[in-house]
Amino acid sequence: MYTNWIGLYTMFRREVKRTMRVAVQTLLAPVISAALYLFIFGTVIGTKIDDFAGVPYISFVFPGVLMLSIVNASFASASSNLYFMRFTRGIEEMLIAPFSYFEMLVGFVGSAIVRSLMVAFLILAVGMLFGAVSLVNPLAFVFYISAISAIFAMLGIIVALWAEGFEQLTVINTFVITPLTYLGGIFYSVTFLPPLAATITHLNPFFYFADGVRSSMIGYSEANALIGVVVIGGLVIVLATLLTYLFKIGWKIRA
Amino acid sequence: MSQPMLEIKNLRKVYGSGKAEKVAVEGISLTVPRGSFFGLLGPNGAGKSTTIHCITGIAQPTSGEILVDGVDVVKDYKNARTKVGLSPQEFNVDIFSTPEQLMDFMGGYYAIPHEERWKRINDLITRFDLEQHRHVKFQKLSGGLKRRAMLGRALVHTPDLLILDEPTAGVDVEQRRDLWAYLKEMNERGKTIILTSHYLEEIQYLCNEIAIINHGRIVAQGSKEEFMKDGKSVEERYLEITRADDKEQK
Repeated sequence: MYTNWIGLYTMFRREVKRTMRVAVQTLLAPVISAALYLFIFGTVIGTKIDDFAGVPYISFVFPGVLMLSIVNASFASASSNLYFMRFTRGIEEMLIAPFSYFEMLVGFVGSAIVRSLMVAFLILAVGMLFGAVSLVNPLAFVFYISAISAIFAMLGIIVALWAEGFEQLTVINTFVITPLTYLGGIFYSVTFLPPLAATITHLNPFFYFADGVRSSMIGYSEANALIGVVVIGGLVIVLATLLTYLFKIGWKIRA
Repeated sequence: MSQPMLEIKNLRKVYGSGKAEKVAVEGISLTVPRGSFFGLLGPNGAGKSTTIHCITGIAQPTSGEILVDGVDVVKDYKNARTKVGLSPQEFNVDIFSTPEQLMDFMGGYYAIPHEERWKRINDLITRFDLEQHRHVKFQKLSGGLKRRAMLGRALVHTPDLLILDEPTAGVDVEQRRDLWAYLKEMNERGKTIILTSHYLEEIQYLCNEIAIINHGRIVAQGSKEEFMKDGKSVEERYLEITRADDKEQK
């Protein structure tokens, strides 16, 4: 069976157009948020804190801010894209087109990654203005950024399939993703925490996401890298398998 | 004898389960000859759209078999879908897209290479008189222009089988006549077309084969001439058949 490369490229193209159509919301808003984080935690508070892990505090915080933006961009892109398509029945365009179920998944996830990479580049540019960007392991950086985007794109797709209203679309983000992200050590070191809280943090997958991005950027890590790769790789495989199955049975999209 | 363009064997489609179970289509069998202009008639809720959805992949058949040009739409769905173009009854589009974008994206989904796709898009935009509206958002188009954009989208990958579900709903008389001329010309060039419409004069004018669905079953099928024997119009014959079937169902 052939791979529908042109179809996949078209899905990515369509998402870029959709992103640019509402660029203030999709690109400018995350850049402003990131700039505010960097200004407050990096410049205002960070200058009062001694170097941390051998780097200025702003450089310690920046990978987490970048990860937070990527998480939000990929989740919002995938969930809003698919939910909007379900809502307007535009999903039927995909259902009648010659895409395998796995290609549909790759198309939706790839589109979300495209948007999160657009956001990531802009935030890297902002980080450079603040002098917060360093990159000790570019390959690992690309791996973590792509894998984290893919994970949250797939979570976004699951929520978009499950949701019956716009409110449900935000529930998982508000009550699961945001708390776990903030508690995953993006603004602080796990060594600051009491032992019990530090142990619990090690059970939070977001801790490994933030730590992976940080280690690839500044070379400082507080997690076992192997556990991090297993957690991230495992989530990618489990979510991709689940979604391919859901597309195959047409859950909530095919009558 | 050439391979039929569409064969439906014992199609059954059930929505929901348990107490909410609703049988939409019950054992439909249908053959659409290659090159025919096939009218699929029936009252609202009879099962026409469900049948179309099962052919195109929007719905999953509960049981039965559907072959498009000999290709199974479930077992070899990817291949089967390249052969079918659909202009649906409802506007299932991103309303912020323009007619040009709708055709471009759909052509892309069907893996039509860039150059060929844009040649086709430009031809369709000219043919459907959409030049002035090619960059206008779908939501701002009139009903007739929306229908033409949908038709363009259905044709961009030059499907062997074109399925038109109420393509002239909301279209004014002049544009409808123009559309009829185009559809007739396409059919004369060999395209197989399935048409559902509540305008029975449209069916009578365009179609050479007709089937009637009522309560999820085929209640009549034959050539237009067979339907119109005894000097009856398609509409008269349609009413006669569906009323008799309704009585029988009661």
